[in-house]
Amino acid sequence: MNDIAASPSWHDLWANLAIFKDAIWVGALSGALLGAIGVHVVLRRMVFASSAIAQAAALGVALSFWVAALVDPSGHAAGHAAGPAAHFAPSLLFEPVLWAIAASLLATLVFVANPVHLHLTRESLLGFVFLASGAGAVIVGAKITQEAHDLEAILFGSAVVVQPGDLALVATATVLLLGGHAVLWRALLFAGYDPMGARVQGMPVRALNVFLFLSVGLSVALCTRALGALPVFAFSVLPAMTALALTARIGVVFIVATLLGAFSGVGGYVVSFKGDLPVGATQTATASALLAAALLFRFARARYERRARTTSAPRTDAA
Amino acid sequence: MRLPAGERLLSTEGLVVGHEGAAILPPLTITIAAGELWAVIGPNGSGKSTFVRTALGLVPPVSGAITRRPALRLAYVPQQSALDVIFPISVADFVLMGLQGPGNVTLLGGRANAARAAAALDEAGARALERRQLRDLSGGQRQRVLIARALATDADLVFLDEPTTALDATAEHEVLQLIEKLRAKRGAAVVMVTHLVEDGLERADRALLLDRDHGVARAATAAEVRALPEFARVYGRFVARGSEASP
Repeated sequence: MNDIAASPSWHDLWANLAIFKDAIWVGALSGALLGAIGVHVVLRRMVFASSAIAQAAALGVALSFWVAALVDPSGHAAGHAAGPAAHFAPSLLFEPVLWAIAASLLATLVFVANPVHLHLTRESLLGFVFLASGAGAVIVGAKITQEAHDLEAILFGSAVVVQPGDLALVATATVLLLGGHAVLWRALLFAGYDPMGARVQGMPVRALNVFLFLSVGLSVALCTRALGALPVFAFSVLPAMTALALTARIGVVFIVATLLGAFSGVGGYVVSFKGDLPVGATQTATASALLAAALLFRFARARYERRARTTSAPRTDAA
Repeated sequence: MRLPAGERLLSTEGLVVGHEGAAILPPLTITIAAGELWAVIGPNGSGKSTFVRTALGLVPPVSGAITRRPALRLAYVPQQSALDVIFPISVADFVLMGLQGPGNVTLLGGRANAARAAAALDEAGARALERRQLRDLSGGQRQRVLIARALATDADLVFLDEPTTALDATAEHEVLQLIEKLRAKRGAAVVMVTHLVEDGLERADRALLLDRDHGVARAATAAEVRALPEFARVYGRFVARGSEASP
């Protein structure tokens, strides 16, 4: 399907919208949620944390498949034989989302922990989480053959459709977590920008940080299960960077990042459909293209302003 | 409401500060009262920051006690270098942070909060900077805005960490005048960590001399601290300059 002439048309997309609708919604909601939370992730210089947490979530999903096959091989195989609907309704114990959340929260704990007593930096521990999770996911993937495609979809975000229930989970998380962030954005900003000043003024800095880290862990886990680790990492970093490049008004930064995240989720899906390309990669590429355009715009504006300043005379100093 | 002059705001009894249970300074007993200006002086690495963090309740003391007046309102003005320039924080947004606290965590108040922030900026002579980015200001302008946030908090006791670092003479003078205003506004006490020993002692009512290497933690009036042998050991050249200036 790489032949350009055979590329699906807009009409094809419209005609098949019922099939892809849930996946497009999940892309939009995940992009919006991670885009908004990503502003704190970028400003607090914890970009690598979201990557490590996404990788850990992917390992959690892989482990859920593997452990289910180990513990109940006959039931697991029967699930496959019964078809996707049966297969995607395993017992609660082996529910991939729960494993993804557990692994994400464990990775989040590493971020919260202060490893100074071990004479290590937080970044080095996150590197450990990222590498161990990545290696673990590949190794576990080699042990399970039946879900290899699912696992690849989770690692690289190549799934065209989402699993039943993913939309409801992601939508619920988006409403709750975005709502919380909308109320607490100034408090989270103060706690991140000047933690000492915030603590002195009696702000609950520790509780705010716990909320932020939990919301990162939960949103990354749920979105990784639905979309895959690559686009989740991209959504939690790139829209925020783009918004920060476009505007310096912090309230507007959150709104722009939310909208750009949603746009990347939907736009990437459309590009994937039209170009017959992997969804996660096109969503990441869309977010990257927006960032590149924003950086070019900012560069051009800075040059223009510099030129305008040098040509205006007489030169006056700011008060 | 103006605080009665001399009212005890914070006192320490045999306070020992340090890291992870290890003392770095001898025990210290002081009382900070309303309306006082304190200068905390000492060489680099003398324990000034550790003392301030302990007094603010951010780290536990190794031993001893800290007593604060009930419902004491504290404010902290950080060093400029402690604020990350990656954050796009406008001057108005920064001063608004001064209004946040246990009773106003979310700061969803709107116009009333904005008016209070604007009034604080007016007092600091920084209203014209309201829409500028904090990171784009000169050192002197930025320090005025930092102090404007402390004015907005309406605090009883304000700690300032090196407020005159890297400022030119004019900006330094303006900032020191603003610190006076901070104290005069409602009789608050101000504790200023400073490397400007001369300016600090000249303006302060009381001073705290710290020197971790020689086990010094002495608090007294500014004049008494200047006369201490420990002061001469740490700041010998300043004492010499003072002697030359005397008739």
